Order: sequence, then C-alpha cells, then structure tokens
Amino acid sequence: MNEIKKNDFLNTINPFNKNSMTPTLLIVYAFMVLIFSLINPLFISLANIKSIMANLTISGIMAVGLTTVILTGNFDISVGSILGVSAIVCAKLYNIGDTYIPLPFVILAGIAAGAAIGAINGFLVTVVGINSIITTLGTLAVFRGLAYLYGTETAQIYYKPYVVMGRGYIFKYIPLTLVYFIAILVVMYLVLRFTKFGRNIYQIGANSQAARLAGVSIKRTTFYTFVISGATAGIGGILLSSQLAFAQGEFGLGYEFKILTICVLAGISLAGGRGTLVGVLVATLILGSIANGLSLSKVPIEWRDAFEGLILIIAIMVDSVRVRRRALLRA
Amino acid sequence: MQPKTKKSFKLTDTYILLVILVVLFAFFSLANKQFIAYNNISTMLKNMVLTGVLALGLTPLMIARGLDISFGNSISFTSVVMAVLFTVGGLNLWLSLLIGVLVATLIGFINGLLIEKFDLIPIILTLGTMAILQALALVVANTFTQTYSILMLTDQLYYFATRTFLKIPYPLFILIIFVAIFWFVLTKTKVGRTIYLIGANPKVAYLCGVKVTKVKILLYTFMGFVAGIGAVLIVSLTGVGMSYHGAKLSLPTLSAVLLGGISLMGGSGSVWGTLIGVLIVTVIFNGLSVLNVPSYYIQLFQGLALIIIVAAYEIRNKRAQAF
Repeated sequence: MNEIKKNDFLNTINPFNKNSMTPTLLIVYAFMVLIFSLINPLFISLANIKSIMANLTISGIMAVGLTTVILTGNFDISVGSILGVSAIVCAKLYNIGDTYIPLPFVILAGIAAGAAIGAINGFLVTVVGINSIITTLGTLAVFRGLAYLYGTETAQIYYKPYVVMGRGYIFKYIPLTLVYFIAILVVMYLVLRFTKFGRNIYQIGANSQAARLAGVSIKRTTFYTFVISGATAGIGGILLSSQLAFAQGEFGLGYEFKILTICVLAGISLAGGRGTLVGVLVATLILGSIANGLSLSKVPIEWRDAFEGLILIIAIMVDSVRVRRRALLRA
Repeated sequence: MQPKTKKSFKLTDTYILLVILVVLFAFFSLANKQFIAYNNISTMLKNMVLTGVLALGLTPLMIARGLDISFGNSISFTSVVMAVLFTVGGLNLWLSLLIGVLVATLIGFINGLLIEKFDLIPIILTLGTMAILQALALVVANTFTQTYSILMLTDQLYYFATRTFLKIPYPLFILIIFVAIFWFVLTKTKVGRTIYLIGANPKVAYLCGVKVTKVKILLYTFMGFVAGIGAVLIVSLTGVGMSYHGAKLSLPTLSAVLLGGISLMGGSGSVWGTLIGVLIVTVIFNGLSVLNVPSYYIQLFQGLALIIIVAAYEIRNKRAQAF
C-alpha cells in the first residue's frame, strides 16, 4: 500500500512518465525550430541562439516562481508589476547622489522588494482570504501605479559590474543570465521534489482537504509560494534593468500574461498539484524562440501578442481535456 | 422564499453603500466647487454610462459564476472595426455600427463556447482573448489607416453624445433602459431566478433540469453584445475608433461590480447594488481628477479600492460564518 502510494507520488513529479507533457513539448519545439530555420536560416545561427538564450531567461526565472504558486492552485498575475517596482528600486539606488552602494546590497534590495510585495499578496490571500486572482489583479494595479509614479523619468545605471551581471557571457557563448536561470531551476526542482515543503505544495494543489487533514499548514505554505514568486519577479527586475542599463515605470508591462502562458504550456495544471519544472524549461525555450522566430520571419510585431494569446488558449484547452480524462480514469 | 433575516441583511448592505456614496459626494463637493457644477455632473454621468452598461452586463454573468475580463479589448477592437467600415469601407453609419455590435456579440459567444465546452477558468481564457483582441485592434487599424485612432465624426453620433433632454444627456437614457430591463429580468422572470440558481449551486441547477451550459454561453454572448453597445457609446462620445479605447475599462468596471456586492463565488448581487457600485467608482475617479490628482495615483487607487472592497466583504463573510 505504502509502496504504491510512493510510486504514485514519484510518477506525479517524474518529468518523463507518460502523463507528462514534456515529450510532446519537445516534439513541438523540434518542429518549430525546423519551420523557423527553413523560413530564415539566420534563426539557427550562433549569434541568434545566443540572443534567444539571453532573452528568455528573465521570463524563465519568473515562471519558476509562479509555478510554485500555481501548483498550490492559486495565481499570481502581479508579477509584471513586481518586476517593474524591483527594477526601479535597483536603478534608484544607483541614482541617490554620490553615495556608492555595494552591488550585493543592491541585488538584495531588489529581491527584498519583490519578496515583500509577494508577502503582501500572500497575506491578503491566506490571512484575509481573498481569491488570489482578484488580490493580484489589485496589487498589479497598485504597484504598476507606484512604478509609474517613481519611474516617470528613466533612471540610468552607469555602474559597470551591475550591467555586466545581465549582459555578460561565460566562455564567450553562454550568457550569465542563462546560468542564473538554470541554477534557480535546479534548486527549485530539488526543493519541490525532495523537501517536505515541496511535497506540501503538491499536496495542497492535489487535494487541499486531504493536505489539511494530514497536518500540512496550508496557509503558511501558500504564503511562502507567493513570497517565492515575488522574489523571482524581483530577480527578473534586477536582470532586466541590468540588461538595459536603465529602469522605467513600464518595465514588465504584460509580463504576467507571458509567464502564465509559459506555466500553462509547461503542463502546470491550473487545477493545481500537477506539473514539473522540466516542462517549464522546455516551455520557456518554446516561447522565447517564438518571439524571436516570428520577428525573423518578418511577422509584424502586433501579431506576436495574438500568437501568444492563441498559444495560451490552446494550452489551457489541452490542460482541461487532460484533467477531465484523469477524472474519468479515476472514477 | 429566502429566509427573512437574510433579506434584511442585504437591504442594509445597499444602505451602507448609499451612505458611502453620499459621504463621498459631500466630501468632493466641499473640496472643490467645480465638482457640483452642472458641466461636471453631466460629464460624470456621461462617463458613468459606459462603466454602468458594462457593469450591468457583467452582473448576471458573475451571478452565474462566469467572468469576462476581455470586454475592454473587445470594445477597442469593435470600435476600430466600426470606424474602418465607416471611413474606409464607406458603409452606412447604422450598418457599420450594427456590424460592430454583431462582431462583439460573436466574440462573447466564442468566449462562452470555449469556457463552457472545455471547462476552462474564465479569467484565464479571457486573458488570452484579451491579448488576441488587442493585437487585432492594432493590426486592423494599422493595415487600413496606418494610424491607431480613426476619426469617425458624424452629425448623428455628435448629436447623440451632446444633446440633452430636460437637461439629461441622451446617453444616460441608454443606461436607464438597461437598468430597467436588467432589473425586470433578474427579479421578475424565470430566467432571472435560473441565473441565481446556477450561481448558488450549479450542480443543483443541473439536477433541476436547467441547461447550465446553454444559459451560461448565452450570458457570455450577451456580455459580448453589451461590449458592442459600449463600443457604440465610446465611439459616439469621443468621435474616434481607437485601438486603445477599452484598455483601461476593465479595472473600474470590475471594481464597481464587486463593490456592488457581487461575489466571485456567484449567487449573490443585484442590479441596484451594481448601480450604486458604479456611482461610487465614478464619483471617486471623477472627484480625484477634479482635484487634479495625477493619473498614476488614480491607477493606484483603483487597485487599492479593488483590494479593500473585496477584503471588506471577505472579512464580513468570515465574521458572519463565525456566528
């Protein structure tokens, strides 16, 4: 009995079992690469691959954080605004007079700003008990307003190490941001798979009633997932401002949508409790390549959003069909 | 039908909102005399019509546990379609407006069909359609006119937007008609009771023989139609069809509806509650702009208002459950 249960649990988090979406995603990705490179051979040039990798990491990192929230059956659509606030916090720290602020402190401040907003979200969702979509819709507006307020004029960043942090390459070809992304992904994968906290997250999403009866503190775990999501959005803000060497109130506008698409595409079930970070890696690759591929294929930029919207809709439809099939199998 | 205690409970709810409205109104009139000038009041009422019509469209949908946040972008898209048909296509004014409304209705129908047939989470699907509609609005406007706002000035629309009857602006009559129809349908007809039943418990409704899917698809379609009417209103009030017309409509409308006492869990809410919610939201935002508060703050307040409103209802519900 115990043995079966354990297997069942391992199956849920194993990326390569037959229920997983990852193999399908990989096939889709292979086709996409084929089509884009036939349209424009530049797509598979080394320089282009380098730029795709450098650009997709920010959404990838944020998707990792959002995944933990979605796994518990909640949502966080305020991530774009959190990114904006964190970017402005970092840029402003470099613009207060002549005082020199050490790099680690700035990075910490950016992450802390994100985590604090995440904590506000978590507080409203768990303690006050507001539906997470509405909560984060509200905080989305509030912090976008704050970002505009303090980011009306572009804040330039002239500090070189900060800029290198987002733009640098290791061994000439591997973007530093990709390294951060992979590191965060691996750490979160291990946390989700091997720690009690990670298992609690899956349990809450799969069956919150059962989780509560098993003694999982739903409120505390959910709260921490929002903090994690906020912190990763904060990291996104740091990296974006360092890549562009400035910050503006508009940073991260519409990101929530992009990142939600990555998560859904990755097979993180919106009902909670299903999906792995391996899927997130592949989905990030797909979405990052689409934007790049479409612009190399000379598709007007407006269509890109429509395309991403379409992908989101198809992904949630597939998700819903899978959930329904599972429910039928269980019954 | 309903226990008497619950009914009196609801009544006080509406009264509290009314008191808030009066207090806000008094505050803003004391803060700035411009606020109660006839010109400002009539502008405010005109602006209210748009939010009001949309909020009323959302009311039955949200009572039945549905949700649509793509209506703003649907308005952008259909306003562009109307203006393109009229200026580039050279179509008759009424025909182009009619086609626009039909397009919006179709969008609502597609939303409803996908959500109900595939069991999708409404807010996520409409987030997707939002992006697609926004892109379409930009592409259509750009390919036909190379701009993002298309002039659509005609005498009829101008008269409609500016003329008054007994000092009441014409557009306000649309809102009054909407309120009357919605109030009648929701409280006096079988359809209305069906909608409340679906919201209170969809499973029970299904077991009672209500065609839940069909009714909800109809409600989404109707929300699309309302967005079409919204597009007509915005085109006539501003004289342009623009790709960004509806981008900022979602948040105030949603706040107004939630303020009016509609819960996301469905089953509760009324036309009067929504109307007062719309009035409060309109008074707040008009008052703030009369006081020359920068628009960044207004967005900030919108978000705060949404959170506070829902938090207040949530805390009260918890307290009610504790008893």
